[in-house]
Amino acid sequence: MTALAAVPTAPRRRSRLAPHGLTWSVLRLHRTALYICGGAFVAFVATMIWMYAIGDDARASIGACGSPGSGLPSCLEITERTADDTYRYVLSLATTVLAYTMFPVAAWAGGALIGRELESGTARLAWTQSVTPLRWLAAKLAVPALLLTAGATAAVLLNIWARRDDNPNLTGDWYHPDDFVTTGPAAVTYVLAGLALGALAGLVTRRALPAAGLGFAATLALYNILERYREDLWPTVSRTGDTPSELPRSALQVEHGMVLTSGERVTASRCSVMPDSTCVNDADVAGYYSTFHPQSHFWPLHLVSAGIALAVAVLATAAAFWLLRRRTP
Amino acid sequence: MTETAIEAAALGKRFGRRGKWALRDCALKLPAGHVCAVVGPNGAGKSTLLAVAAGLLKPTEGALTVLGTHPTEARPRLAYVAQDKPLHPQLTVAATLRLGRELNPGHWDATVAERVVRQGDLDPKARVRSLSGGQRTRVALALALGKRPELLLLDEPMADLDPLARHELMGTLLAEAAENGTTVVMSSHVVAELEGSCDFLLLLGAGRVRLAGPLEDLLAAHTLITGPAGALTGLAPHTVVESRTTGRQLTALLRPAGPLDDVWQTAAPSLEELVLAHLRSPEAPALLLDATATKEAAA
Repeated sequence: MTALAAVPTAPRRRSRLAPHGLTWSVLRLHRTALYICGGAFVAFVATMIWMYAIGDDARASIGACGSPGSGLPSCLEITERTADDTYRYVLSLATTVLAYTMFPVAAWAGGALIGRELESGTARLAWTQSVTPLRWLAAKLAVPALLLTAGATAAVLLNIWARRDDNPNLTGDWYHPDDFVTTGPAAVTYVLAGLALGALAGLVTRRALPAAGLGFAATLALYNILERYREDLWPTVSRTGDTPSELPRSALQVEHGMVLTSGERVTASRCSVMPDSTCVNDADVAGYYSTFHPQSHFWPLHLVSAGIALAVAVLATAAAFWLLRRRTP
Repeated sequence: MTETAIEAAALGKRFGRRGKWALRDCALKLPAGHVCAVVGPNGAGKSTLLAVAAGLLKPTEGALTVLGTHPTEARPRLAYVAQDKPLHPQLTVAATLRLGRELNPGHWDATVAERVVRQGDLDPKARVRSLSGGQRTRVALALALGKRPELLLLDEPMADLDPLARHELMGTLLAEAAENGTTVVMSSHVVAELEGSCDFLLLLGAGRVRLAGPLEDLLAAHTLITGPAGALTGLAPHTVVESRTTGRQLTALLRPAGPLDDVWQTAAPSLEELVLAHLRSPEAPALLLDATATKEAAA
């Protein structure tokens, strides 16, 4: 009976900046998710600081070495140093975690953010307060979107900072899928696409578990499509020559083969090397070609990937609003 | 305050394109300031009617206005408690009330909400998931009453409560409603729980309105008669809602159109008798009584 007396009945003076209204309700209802995300972010920041700190050491560990007296660090000593292994391994792990953030975000958005509320009827509870369904959905999407954008942007910047000179022996090549995604804005738009696809899955299924599954599956499909067709997102550079050319490591090779005397490009093998029905006679070979993306294509490729993910996020959000609008009076 | 709480014309709601009609051709007018009972068997359309009135469902045909306007316009002025009392299980009681305050800026009465919770001896720090059915209902009612609505829509509010909790909560509810002049519309399939608390009745059957009007007027319009079975033909000018013959004895509920023969013993029906008789004979004509005018609609 007296328990409630402990709760102040007079409205407390609240600062203007303190979240209130729908923002407060979204933050309060998904407090556990907020804590988990906050914890993951702090762990990521700590990892990046650690990586930055051992960056010099890691670079020294893969530097040149020589026998004693050569003026270079001793090879025995260099091989015993493990900073490069730690740096390479932890950085690649952190990169993968950042690139995969969209999957748990989609499952959460479908399951906990939208699906569960529609399944248990608590969405209707909100809609019969003084909140319209559309405003409810807007807050449900905007609050996490804002936090995820800020978090993912900070994570990308930290990642770039910890990679220092981007030595491919330590940080992986620029075209490696996870490294490609997490060193630019695509990491942010991927997460936003996950949020929007998850929310749409929640509105479509109206149940928590199927929504989490559907959101996850949709995001997985998006991730894999973007990865599989990434090299087609920007025109390649072509190089021809009399001999098969060796591309530098920084080039992402898309195709290579022979140019025939007719001018046609084929990827078959020469009959002298591997005789079979499709092989090309030596006499028909005019030269060799290869098509590839030089490192300078990182930004165009990256921005197109990021743009597609952003477009998916926008379309999924629009579809979610359309669906909710159609269902509610 | 608006005169009419809910008004519907030719209202129909069908779930799915080929689904069954949950409501069909519903015409009704609930005056404000009453405690109205929406009665009917399971599947009669009670929940659908309340959800349409709460602005949660779009009618398939026809129109319904709440407090003189579209249900979505009236959102801040009405409160709704769904049958399963959805609440966030992870929130505490205090946080649930805070949610009400945050989502109803400008018209949240914390005193009322806290009083309703306090009367139930609830610990504000208790999580909703740890509460019993009755306690959850109390929190849901606190959330609805804290909004200080002009119209309170309750879907089977007491269905899963024991008689003691039911009595207690109904008392709280009616007291708060009376204090603020709130119109209460509550559905139920337990007629007994409504007797003594409602003054307006809406009986739904198979998605249609069967009876509507002030409870006293509806009861006064009907008479329960007993007499010899052979005298049934003499009842022709009156509307016989239901008649049953036991041996040579006939019992009937009718709407007398004039004075009755002396062969009949007459009695005033109870609410339960009135409702049951109409539910047992779906072909009986509907009776819609206005607070002022009386009209009899042919079924």
